[in-house]
Amino acid sequence: MQKNTLVDMENITKIYGNHRALDRVSFDLLPGEVHCLVGENGAGKSTLIKILSGAISPDDGLIKIEGEEVRELSPRQSIELGISTIYQDAELVDSLTVADNVYLGDELTGRIPFVVDSRTQMKRVEETIDALKMNLPTGILVEELSASQKQMLQIVKALYKDAKVLIMDEPTSSLGMDETEALMKIVRNLRDRGIGIIYISHYLEEIFEIGDRVTVLKDGTSMGTFSIDSISVEEIIRKMVGRDASLFYTRRKVNIGNVALEVRNITRYGVVDNVSFSVRKGEVFGIGGLVGSGRSELVNILFGADRADSGEIVLNDKRLRIKSPQDAVKCGIALITEDRKKLAMLGGRDVVENTALVHSENFRGFLLNLKEEDKLTDEIVNRLSVAVQERSQKIEELSGGNQQKIVIGRWLVDDSDVYIFDEPTKGVDIGAREQIYELIIELAEKGKCIIMISSDLPELLSMSDRIGVMRNGRLVEIVENKDIEEEDMIKRFIGV
Amino acid sequence: MREGMKTMSKDGATANGKRTLTRRRSSILKNQWFYLLVAEVAIAVITGLVNPRFFTTSNIMNILEQIAVLGIVSSGMTLLIISGEIDISVGANIGLSSVVMAMMIKAGYGYVLAVLLGISLAVFNSLLVGITARAFKAPSFITSLAFISVFQGVALAITKGTFQTIYGQFEFIGTFRLWQIVPLSFLISIAAYIVMHFLLSYTKLGRRTYAVGSNQSAAYLSGISVNKAKLTAFALNGLFIGVASMVLLSRIGAAQPSTGSGIELKAIGAVVIGGTPLSGGKGRIIGTFFGVLLMGIISNSLNMLRVNPYFQTVTFGVLIIASLAVSVLSSYRKKEKIKPATVKEEKS
Repeated sequence: MQKNTLVDMENITKIYGNHRALDRVSFDLLPGEVHCLVGENGAGKSTLIKILSGAISPDDGLIKIEGEEVRELSPRQSIELGISTIYQDAELVDSLTVADNVYLGDELTGRIPFVVDSRTQMKRVEETIDALKMNLPTGILVEELSASQKQMLQIVKALYKDAKVLIMDEPTSSLGMDETEALMKIVRNLRDRGIGIIYISHYLEEIFEIGDRVTVLKDGTSMGTFSIDSISVEEIIRKMVGRDASLFYTRRKVNIGNVALEVRNITRYGVVDNVSFSVRKGEVFGIGGLVGSGRSELVNILFGADRADSGEIVLNDKRLRIKSPQDAVKCGIALITEDRKKLAMLGGRDVVENTALVHSENFRGFLLNLKEEDKLTDEIVNRLSVAVQERSQKIEELSGGNQQKIVIGRWLVDDSDVYIFDEPTKGVDIGAREQIYELIIELAEKGKCIIMISSDLPELLSMSDRIGVMRNGRLVEIVENKDIEEEDMIKRFIGV
Repeated sequence: MREGMKTMSKDGATANGKRTLTRRRSSILKNQWFYLLVAEVAIAVITGLVNPRFFTTSNIMNILEQIAVLGIVSSGMTLLIISGEIDISVGANIGLSSVVMAMMIKAGYGYVLAVLLGISLAVFNSLLVGITARAFKAPSFITSLAFISVFQGVALAITKGTFQTIYGQFEFIGTFRLWQIVPLSFLISIAAYIVMHFLLSYTKLGRRTYAVGSNQSAAYLSGISVNKAKLTAFALNGLFIGVASMVLLSRIGAAQPSTGSGIELKAIGAVVIGGTPLSGGKGRIIGTFFGVLLMGIISNSLNMLRVNPYFQTVTFGVLIIASLAVSVLSSYRKKEKIKPATVKEEKS
């Protein structure tokens, strides 16, 4: 038994300054199993993974790989020992083909020296891809691949390096539902081939779908390792956060007023097709659908970031002319974008600049009022309980949840009438998530119109008053959110 | 729910207790300009020991006069680089606008009109670089590269390649010294730094510049017009180039198409030495000030120490590499320090 354990980490401790990032954590991985690792942001999952992949070294503890004790582990050694980490979007050369990427650095040469034998490379890679039942063309350039295909390519690449242990860190966070499903199949396939998989995810449903065992981390300590069959979602959550909670959030009822926002026949050729809906004051209008169904594209049009080819937007009986985000802001529309890093954060700038961004740009004259900026930042930080030490702290140094709070907070400085949230809690841990929900409800109570896009079904079902279902750029139906089951919703998304 | 919220705010930011954030002054050791200052003092002391003439008032004023034009150009370049753009046609732009100023003065239009037209031309030129870059979605490095030959060509065509001398007609700015000591050109460059510092730190224009340089999409989605912000940076850069041309012309008393050529590289060098990365979104004018000063002091010291002038060119390159090393090393230290505080907030 002990002999064929792939990875055995015993009493791993890692100390940063006076903070114990990991405190005597033990973790083991058997061949042919999916061992999930869960915990809130900052619980120590990343630290544990970094130790195993050799990026950082532990202060104390023992690591055994296939029964052999390993004293010093460098990233290179880790790979040589067969441990591969699948990152979201790294380590691939965009300008090379899929097959070339697999053989990168280790190219096959044919009869002529120094000339790469692309044909054989392609053939062999294709065989592997077929065996894993992946949908991945070998001849095309990596830059043309989707996010999920890139992940699959990394898996193939890892297998070519004789990986016995695959570490997958949040592999599905940027994937749509069908892509996630495909990835799950591949993970199962790998497991059946005897590969050990360490699977980290925020989505607990996934863990129950594919996991064999689960280890829960909380504040740097292990809360135990459990067989998936012997534990429930509620129990895991309780162990993660130290309290009772569920994936569903129980929100307050809000009195809903008259229709304030009306969207009529919005069309952008090839992207959004003749979408109409209305949102009442105090209502949370959820928008659901698969990734690529046109949800984000629709709200980008409402916010003026993209132009509509036809259609109109009416707010409080006034027809809006929105040609740019500036116009939208002036009209009282706020958009909290989906991709925090790419579309919202000024990474290298401090908390104050990031909080005051919208206010100072749109509601000030030529001169800034630095005192006012400091004051309103304090207000936002207090109101949303953002964990930040000082004003000069750069936003990129905060955790995901706190970054999201600042990015939301910048729209709260001045009132808007319509708040559009695109995946408001993506990459945010459970605690901060509830605070964001609370905030959304508070806005609704003030009579704002809320539009919320979410791929997280429990979130969509617990927050929305009505849900618009988008499919292929069209808003196919609007359902009252009453006694709807998750499965039912998924069926509507897919259209069966 | 309420209880849940409390358990969640780990870092002591309780939901009820009001907190006032403080703004900690960043340690002086993290500022690149501090290292520049140390280097400058060290070089000055060493040179002064070898050649006491270094510390004479006339030599110091000489240095200040020599870095004035570079200082003005570098101020504009700082703004442009923070906005995420660059202009390598500055030298050619100075050549063209100073030639035009000189020709107008020579033709008897009066220097007020000549200077106004010359500065407007510089602004126009810089805007051309910016507009073409924005319109054709090209990097401004490429469009400004193209405009180098356009500006040079136009200057050569209108002058037929000749020297435009205006000795004695426009000397005021180049020769005036406040209290017979401080050169006016240096005071103008100080004014340029101050104006730029004010714009960057206290105005919406500056805030926009940092925002578009840091994250263009985020700036756009916050209601900032990216085109407007970037073109404003180009226009101001042009304004500073125009002023620099005026100072240069007045000091030399003559202009030709190649006047100012190569200054853009020195300016970019000074900005980078001063800690403003070419990737944009970061940087302060005080760094640029000390970067320019360091260049002036080094070139003067090398003269004083009678170093072979050919080797003096080498030092410029070494300087830029050294400054990169300093900024990398200081950011290493920064990361080491931050790690313990933020590790628990790290995304896991």
